Amino acid sequence: MIWEVFRQEKPGDYHTHCGNVHAPDREMAKQFAVVQHGRRKPTESLWVVPQEEVGEVDADEVAFGGTTDKSYRWAMAYTSSTEHAKEVIASQQEQEQAEADRQRGDD
Amino acid sequence: MDVETVKERAGPREFSPADDMPEKYRKAATRMIQFHANSEIMGAYLEKPFIRQAPSIDRKLAFSAKVQDEIGHGQLLYRAAESLGIKTREEMLDELANGEGKFLNCFHYPMDSWAEVPMIAFFVDGAAMRRQATLKSSSWEPYAHAMDKVCFEEGFHVKHGEDIMARMATGSRKEQQMLQDAFDEWWPRIIQFFGPTDDKSTHHDFSAEVGLKQKTNDELRNAFLDAYVPKAKSYGLEIPEYPRIEEVGDGQYHVEEDDLDWDEFFTVSKNEYEPGKGQIDARKAAQEAVDWVRDTIEGDANLPGSQAAPAAD
Repeated sequence: MIWEVFRQEKPGDYHTHCGNVHAPDREMAKQFAVVQHGRRKPTESLWVVPQEEVGEVDADEVAFGGTTDKSYRWAMAYTSSTEHAKEVIASQQEQEQAEADRQRGDD
Repeated sequence: MDVETVKERAGPREFSPADDMPEKYRKAATRMIQFHANSEIMGAYLEKPFIRQAPSIDRKLAFSAKVQDEIGHGQLLYRAAESLGIKTREEMLDELANGEGKFLNCFHYPMDSWAEVPMIAFFVDGAAMRRQATLKSSSWEPYAHAMDKVCFEEGFHVKHGEDIMARMATGSRKEQQMLQDAFDEWWPRIIQFFGPTDDKSTHHDFSAEVGLKQKTNDELRNAFLDAYVPKAKSYGLEIPEYPRIEEVGDGQYHVEEDDLDWDEFFTVSKNEYEPGKGQIDARKAAQEAVDWVRDTIEGDANLPGSQAAPAAD
């Protein structure tokens, strides 16, 4: 049986997928995950999830982000200035980063 | 874990559902997050009718996307609240429907004209974002995680709200006057967004001690004024004479809190303000009207097979 493994590096971080292990049950899966995925990289916590329990939807099935121009959903579409509030600047920077990542994915 | 240990360990994203948290912490966090979730939902219902009144197709698209986001924020926050094990999402939605659920003062007031839209979409959202950015460091990890996504999206809301205001502020004299009238009416409520001064706030101490809250009402209100008073002025808005706002130097502002109507604020806070009661009942009616959708979904959940996912619009 295959178990997908998610690692959290620091307390409060998200658990992100880092690989999988073969194991007959949950206890063994946790032990193998500790050995295979928690040894070298900084690790605060690991999750193990039976692979068959993971639901997947991919870009062949669905048009992520929709099928029409939705630039109106982005802070960058509006020319108003943000310099009055650092949290608005931070939000726009995160959106710019997400958009850049998305376009890189299209290449 | 006992309360003393919680206070010692309290820090950003320190506690998660894996920790055995004392009931006092879980109740305080539930109260705070449920209030936040309710506010997202009630704000969305207040703004929803203005999707139809949007003056152009671009505005309509953007405004409807924004209202959709706010409902999504409510759902995220109910999940974060539910993870404390005090109340289920159903219980919180029922409390909101029957008038027990508390929510933000601004969303108890009716909105009649498009000129009022930027009062919510720029000033209230701007105030909310100022506060939410600090809650990314809340000690309840699921709450802080919800804030990551909320703050990511809110940049669009605030800038779009400012764009609506900019258009009116540079429009006809009549538009400018409508904007000023809306501002005069909403400004005191917007300042009250941050609640009463720390001396009169009943819940702050414990929430701050256990790291749920990062800033006091007073700190947040002042930080809001410092950013948004100059912003309002830059669009030609006149700051109303009352409540008196004093510039205390270094671009910092201070409001004379006794000039604000705190009797009205506390009436509103208890869900006893008449227009707000109507808004609670209207949302309740909407919840009941779509009961059949929830029943159908829950009834079908155990059926084999699944539908192809629709486009992620």
